[in-house]
Amino acid sequence: MSPAPLLQLRQLVKNYGGVRALRGVDFDLHAGEVHALLGENGAGKSTLIKIVTGAHQPDGGTITLAGETVTALTPATARTLGIACIYQQPALFPDLTVAENLALRLEPAAAGRRVDWPARRTRARELLARLGAAIDPEAEVRSLSMPEQQLVEIACALGSGARIVIMDEPTASLTQKEQHLLFAVVRELRQSSVGVIYISHRLEEIFALADRVTVLRDGQSVGTHPVSAINEAGLIRLMVGREVSQIYPASESVAREVVLSLRGVGCAASGVHAVSFDVRAGEVFGLGGLVGAGRTELARVLFGLTPADAGEITLNGQRVTLPSPQAAVAHGIAYVPEDRRRHGVVLELPIAHNMTMAIHRHLFPHTWLRFGAERGLAREFIRDLAVKCSSPDAPGASLSGGNQQKVSLARWLATKPKLLILDEPTQGVDVGAKSEIHKIVRRLAKDGLAVILISSDLPEVIGLSDRIGVMGGGTLRAILPGQSDPHVVMSAALGTAEKGAA
Amino acid sequence: MTNSVKRDWKSVLLSHEMLLLYVLVAEWLFFFFAGTTTNRRGVIVGFGTLDRQFDILRHSCEIGLLALALTPVIITAGIDLSVGSLLGLCAILFGKLWHDGGLSLPLAAFLTLGIGTLAGGLNATLITALRLPPLIVTLGTYSLFRGLAEAITHGAITYTDFPASFLFLGQERWLGLPAQAWLFLLVAVAVWLLMHRTTFGRGFRTIGFSPEGARYAGLPVGRRLALVYMLAGFIAAVAAIIYTARLGQAKADAGTGYELFAITAVVLGGTSIFGGSGSVHGTLLGVAAIAVLKNGLACLPVVMRLNAAEEMSGLLTGALLLLALTGSVLPKMLSTFRAHRHAAQPPSPSPSS
Ligand SMILES: Nc1ncnc2c1ncn2[C@@H]1O[C@H](COP(=O)(O)OP(=O)(O)OP(=O)(O)O)[C@@H](O)[C@H]1O
Ligand SMILES: [Mg+2]
Repeated sequence: MSPAPLLQLRQLVKNYGGVRALRGVDFDLHAGEVHALLGENGAGKSTLIKIVTGAHQPDGGTITLAGETVTALTPATARTLGIACIYQQPALFPDLTVAENLALRLEPAAAGRRVDWPARRTRARELLARLGAAIDPEAEVRSLSMPEQQLVEIACALGSGARIVIMDEPTASLTQKEQHLLFAVVRELRQSSVGVIYISHRLEEIFALADRVTVLRDGQSVGTHPVSAINEAGLIRLMVGREVSQIYPASESVAREVVLSLRGVGCAASGVHAVSFDVRAGEVFGLGGLVGAGRTELARVLFGLTPADAGEITLNGQRVTLPSPQAAVAHGIAYVPEDRRRHGVVLELPIAHNMTMAIHRHLFPHTWLRFGAERGLAREFIRDLAVKCSSPDAPGASLSGGNQQKVSLARWLATKPKLLILDEPTQGVDVGAKSEIHKIVRRLAKDGLAVILISSDLPEVIGLSDRIGVMGGGTLRAILPGQSDPHVVMSAALGTAEKGAA
Repeated sequence: MTNSVKRDWKSVLLSHEMLLLYVLVAEWLFFFFAGTTTNRRGVIVGFGTLDRQFDILRHSCEIGLLALALTPVIITAGIDLSVGSLLGLCAILFGKLWHDGGLSLPLAAFLTLGIGTLAGGLNATLITALRLPPLIVTLGTYSLFRGLAEAITHGAITYTDFPASFLFLGQERWLGLPAQAWLFLLVAVAVWLLMHRTTFGRGFRTIGFSPEGARYAGLPVGRRLALVYMLAGFIAAVAAIIYTARLGQAKADAGTGYELFAITAVVLGGTSIFGGSGSVHGTLLGVAAIAVLKNGLACLPVVMRLNAAEEMSGLLTGALLLLALTGSVLPKMLSTFRAHRHAAQPPSPSPSS
């Protein structure tokens, strides 16, 4: 390792009002290393990144880049100094195409210069190909899914030729295939002596990828270790301060009556067609598949967001139509969406309002708001799900990514649904909270709830589900028993296996 | 947000509403001292008289009602430009139902309220069912309602000769206050409760901040929006009746341009034109600030000499509004500016690796 690290942070401090997000963090990054940053939700990882990229100014401490101390880092200077970042939430322009977004970041901004469209497209295609992503450079970003947008972000960072690449939970919504592509890219970056800061809540990734790991707890670094010198249990202890079971809770539930039954359900507008399966009370029905397989699209159909135009939906033995989310909610369906910032929480509203948004009718039966009851309920969920926040009145925007996810989950648990659809419920959630959510899901199932679990985290789908429906191309390809072999699930998703039956 | 958010005293004292209250008090004190004079016979005249204060209140009720109607609309990130025209149409229909239709005044008033609500329903239908932008829809009905009012009266007929018992509502005092002020107060309290103490208000706010977020939360977005526009129509009809009672006549140009004053009051009161945030008490303060400014100026000797009260009040209202807007938009603009600068960086020169 070279004597002067690429990046050196000393005693970094950052406060948001009364919240002490960082209180004296030290951190080093060398050329050609992948340095993982680990910590619970709200530990301060994203805050640290925002300071390194110049998005936020620190309240104390020094930043040294390749031996030189920099003050007043702005996003512009950070970029010229070769720092590129892939944020937890993609920050692309939704109305522009992929190629245009790439061009905005990568082409010199010169007024009156003629745009070389073919060159733009070619480069966009090359960068995306390096990632192995099948994304049309001419597609509007608005039309891309979250993981696809993430891939575009990564392509931006690749194209800018940065010396420090920061990835804040880049795999949170990627499936295994895309993850492997991403890992290859990260290794390639390391080879060309780029320094990579890698944030993830998935420990296995850290062991697969990182050279060193720094653990943050409550805004302080509690240690930096070479990955070869530490094991999972050790990391978790550093992070959470206690042992967390990494084993999926066993299914104790017995599947009972059929809650949801689909027969040939389709929705032309969202590309879902001919989906048939049953979900019983007391079971977790996992939905696996690649990104773009149509799992979220199916969930949207079931929640009435894009109503079905073909087939039959039966709920508790009754034929139903689900023309709107209100109808779905009235039938006891709850949907925790994938995109928490756009759909899961209203960022401007307080946490308490967000949590009670779907139960106005039950909590406020006479339409009069009852602030005491509302805050009480919010406090309960904040405690049960260990949401890290200053108060139930703090706006959703002030929460860390994982804590927003918990608020979104709380909103729908509060409805006491009969059918709970979870779309990437543990995306961006720390190990402690993740195992907590797994326990909750299993407990709900045991209490007789029917759960549909969509997750790109294959071990999670396999470990938590009683049965696994594998989707591809907008339809159900196979139904496999829980605890199936990951390879079997993958090949079903790729369409290389025979149709199975449960 | 005023409801469940606990705030420390410092942020309360610096909230938009409180700042507006300071402005209002300063305005009032200024006109009290600069706009009150004694005439030749030694009688106190001008701004500082109780009569004048009641006059201000009386004249604020119609625009105040329209501002109350617009507050929920703007909080859902919508707009309703048609309320002024609807006031005119409702005034005409009210007069016609009573005069030509031979209905009793209470019945005519009742039907007028229904018609106002239906007219709001027309806006609502076009906005929610056809998904047209509120600005375009209500720009259309702005012309439509006024045009109807003029067609009904052929631009000439004015309904007058209302009985004194009805004119009482617009011209007399009841329990010490101008009679219509009580009605205004009633509507204000009702809208305040709706906005700040019920699930409806919560829904409006949520829709204003994030219509998609509201939909994903299972809120009936279409129904809530319909309610907001129908309520605006209803309140515009109330304003029409009060207007008729104050002037003693119903004519087709009633309320012309009122919608702009009302929007100004709402925005001045701290309601964001982007939707979501805002309050009913802020709107009331906005209405008061504009009314005091307008009437106070007319009492200043220098303005009277120049005969420029209209122009001056227009100018100052505009200036006040722009000031308030800049104050409320600036933080947001700065942050989006930063975010955009962030997202759309000029490229870094590729490092020689
Ligand atoms: N804009 C803000 N206003 C107030 N508090 C904030 C703000 N941004 C972050 N915080 C607080 O700072 C703390 C650290 O947040 P940060 O986003 O850095 O956590 P994180 O480690 O990235 O968590 P996660 O794993 O959930 O993404 C949290 O307690 C969060 O609530
Ligand atoms: Mg984070």
